[in-house]
Amino acid sequence: MSDRDLTYLAMKSKQRNKAGRTFAVLSGLLAFSAVIFLAFSVTKEIRLLGSANSDNVQWQLSQTEVEFLEFSKTLAELPVDLANVRQRFDIFYSRITTVLQATVFEELRDDEHFQTSLDAVQTFLRLSVPLIDGDDAALLAALPDLRQSSLQTRRDVRDLSNGGLDLFATASDKQRSAVAATMIELAAVLAILIGVLAVAVLYLNRLLRALTRREHQQHQTSTRMNAIISSSLDGVIVIDAQGSILTFSPAAEAIFGYFAEDVVGRDLATVIVPPKLRDVHYAGMERMRNGGKKAVVGKGRVRLEALRANGELFPIEMAIHSSMTTEGEIFIAFLRDITKRVADEVELVAARDAAVAGAKLKTEFLATMSHEIRTPLNGLLGNLELMSETELTQSQSRYVRNMDTSGRLLMRHISDVLDITRYDAGKMTTKSEPMDLSVLLQDIIDSQTSMAGANQTTLSWGWDGAPQNWIKSDPDRLQHVLLNLIGNAVKFTRNGNVTLTVAAQPDGDVIQLGFTISDTGPGMSADLAGRVFDDFVTGNTAYDRDVGGTGLGLSIAKRFVSAMNGQIGVESVLGSGSTFWVRLPVSAAQPVQRQPALPPPAARPIRPLQVLVVEDNEINRTVVRDMLEKGGHRVTEANDGRAGVTAALSRRFDLILMDISMPVMDGRTTTRAIRRGTGPSAHTPIIALTANAMQEEQVNFLADGMDGVLTKPLTKAALADVLGRHTGAVQPATPQAAAPQVLDSEHNAETREILGESGYARMSGVFVEEVEQFILWLDDPASHDLSALAPQCHKFAGSAAVFGATALHTQLKEMETAAKQGNDSAVMALRSKLPAIWKATRALVD
Amino acid sequence: MLKMVLNTAMGASLALACATAALAEDMAAPQGDVLLTVSGDIDVTNVGDTLQLDREQLAALDMTSFETTTIWSDGIQTYEGTSLAALAELLGLTEGKILATAINDYTVEIPVSDAVEGGPIIAVLMNGEEMSVRDKGPLWIVYPYDSNKDYRSEVVYSRSIWQLDRIEVMR
Repeated sequence: MSDRDLTYLAMKSKQRNKAGRTFAVLSGLLAFSAVIFLAFSVTKEIRLLGSANSDNVQWQLSQTEVEFLEFSKTLAELPVDLANVRQRFDIFYSRITTVLQATVFEELRDDEHFQTSLDAVQTFLRLSVPLIDGDDAALLAALPDLRQSSLQTRRDVRDLSNGGLDLFATASDKQRSAVAATMIELAAVLAILIGVLAVAVLYLNRLLRALTRREHQQHQTSTRMNAIISSSLDGVIVIDAQGSILTFSPAAEAIFGYFAEDVVGRDLATVIVPPKLRDVHYAGMERMRNGGKKAVVGKGRVRLEALRANGELFPIEMAIHSSMTTEGEIFIAFLRDITKRVADEVELVAARDAAVAGAKLKTEFLATMSHEIRTPLNGLLGNLELMSETELTQSQSRYVRNMDTSGRLLMRHISDVLDITRYDAGKMTTKSEPMDLSVLLQDIIDSQTSMAGANQTTLSWGWDGAPQNWIKSDPDRLQHVLLNLIGNAVKFTRNGNVTLTVAAQPDGDVIQLGFTISDTGPGMSADLAGRVFDDFVTGNTAYDRDVGGTGLGLSIAKRFVSAMNGQIGVESVLGSGSTFWVRLPVSAAQPVQRQPALPPPAARPIRPLQVLVVEDNEINRTVVRDMLEKGGHRVTEANDGRAGVTAALSRRFDLILMDISMPVMDGRTTTRAIRRGTGPSAHTPIIALTANAMQEEQVNFLADGMDGVLTKPLTKAALADVLGRHTGAVQPATPQAAAPQVLDSEHNAETREILGESGYARMSGVFVEEVEQFILWLDDPASHDLSALAPQCHKFAGSAAVFGATALHTQLKEMETAAKQGNDSAVMALRSKLPAIWKATRALVD
Repeated sequence: MLKMVLNTAMGASLALACATAALAEDMAAPQGDVLLTVSGDIDVTNVGDTLQLDREQLAALDMTSFETTTIWSDGIQTYEGTSLAALAELLGLTEGKILATAINDYTVEIPVSDAVEGGPIIAVLMNGEEMSVRDKGPLWIVYPYDSNKDYRSEVVYSRSIWQLDRIEVMR
């Protein structure tokens, strides 16, 4: 049952009690009034009874008859005593007069029979009075008549008496029954009153019992509440709406340093509220009294500052609830001294801040160190490469090779550390691009086969189930992971087998790839298997001399797999080999036509180019310069971004190589400045030279207007490739040599066969004319609108495919893509090469 | 009440002390028709051992009048006569009772305590006229029923004797 239900019941019971009380009081009053009224009635009736019998009316009537008989007797006496006759007559007369006049006979006089008799008696009196009042002689003479008439009147007097008796009896009966009825009513009402009283007594009894029970419950509740309040670790303070303290629990005493008896009845504000908060407190209390918004009440825990008896200010956590009582609203505050907790929190926050700062510092340190190590290392490696070109003795060549190997190993280690730093800083991103998994796997196996052969180990791979060659994933990261795992397996296995099995399991939109790398090597202990993916774990010490390593390979692999939303794990039995597995969710991809592999750059003659090198590091600058000059190119150097911009304005270059991080003006800013300008090199391809070859950075470089990226350390092969790609400086080859790339003659022949010679001639004529016009149109400024360019490229790429003009098709496709991406500079670069390709194509298509 | 009775008694004793000597000689025999004969344990007498009073002698006693209704008549009547208190004083009565008897020998007992100022009178006149026997005369002990609730009781009604002609004093 909830409090609200209880309140509702209590209210209902209160209403019922009230109604019951009202009913009892009303019925009691009603019955009491009825009793009073009836008692009054009875008294009246009784009094009536009394007054009706006043002076004993019946006795009077009988007396009237008696007096008449006395009178009659005097008449009959011999000798007649006349004085006596007269006196008796007068007495009788006075009786009748009384009957005629007295109020007590009023009712009787209204009775017809009585009146008749009374009339007869009156007539007798009237007739007799002259005789009685006459002289004695006349009276004597009249005596016989008088006797006669009195004999007759006697019956009337008797009737008077009897009639009165009847009437009084009837009236008396009526009155008696009226009294009886009233008495019965009185009895009934009394019974009702007694009933009501009985009910009232029962009700009061029940009420008393309920009250006793409630009192008992209240006592229990109060005892319980007191126990709770007393044992509560939080201080409990109850105040009324005026802010006077009603309850001050023992815990509150301990917190605030007051004794309850000293503060009960005092204003809360003067006891525990710090002086500076009192105005706010009073305003809040005032607002609550006026039924305003309650800022703190029922709002959960609130942190405030409070005042101790010794004047100390300290933090508390407080929750206030309000309750309605008969004396008005009260507020119950639960307070907790959080001095220690606040101190702990402050300490904790400080510790965390220090830790975060430390971690950040470490990351920054690692990144900086890596960079600072790499830059001189690049110079070292570049110079080694240049040195290897010079004339060296056999031992010198060996030393140079060894130095190169060591240098590259050191570079890899630095890259590893950088990868970990990036991943841990949450900066690692992955690509998702179409790739042929089988090719990747074959390449990896091929690269490790000779190493395996040296250990007399066979290395093989295969699909488990249906192959899924084309997927979308990050080929670089995947290669890194698998190469690491297979490399490890090969390294540790002697005279055994290393097998890579891959399975593709479609799962809705994604494909779950499962790679399993099993070896028959020495295996690992369970302990080692459990921490083999941790940083700086270097496996079996017995082999350490043989295999070396930083102990970061697997931990990096794990980070890469995690970055690609996959899982990696190992199962191993010591002495029976290990099985590493990788599970990776990928999506299926459409096969991408592989671009015709460009011939090895060394084999492609390149015309001499004007190259601007913007690089602050002198050694690196020199390496690049020497490499370029060996290729017969002319190099202009700029040692910072600003010098680069100036140089680019001075003349037209065929290519600009741009270092990224430089003092004064960095590579990206420099690139934007060159592209914004109208100098002769504003459209020259710019290639970034960077050690930070991160995917998202490369995207930024392209957005700044760069055309490609060269990763340090620079190799001659990579440099030659870039020169070929971005300058169109490939010297026109002989048609025979160019034919396989420019035209797919097999496809062309098919088209000829389908169309027939005349049809082919006609179609090729149209094709040539259209493309010629397109190239002219390209010179038109309208073609600068990339959205118009893309559909045109698409159209002619399709035509080119029909005639088997592969190079043209590829070139146009690339232009379409670049136009769609809005990459103006890429479009420009591709466009500049188009006439040469067309020239070669046209010669063959005809 | 007791004080009043004592006062009355003392007053009465004093009056008696003065009056007895005077009246014993002054009270002459009645000249006219005797209306009231007082007998019994009395000190004041004029005829034998009774005191007989005619209209004039009665009238000579202290006369009182009041208006009242009665249950035996219709409307308000004026009664005038000697107060019972005056008679008691004359007779030196302070306690005991008197037996009042009517012409038809009807007798009632009236305690002397009824004889108070503003109490019953022995009426000789009704509405200023003498009362005949036919009008409940010639004497009628009337209480001022309207002035005192206690006089409207059965007992008092029975003591209101009319056609009174004799009184016997019993101490």
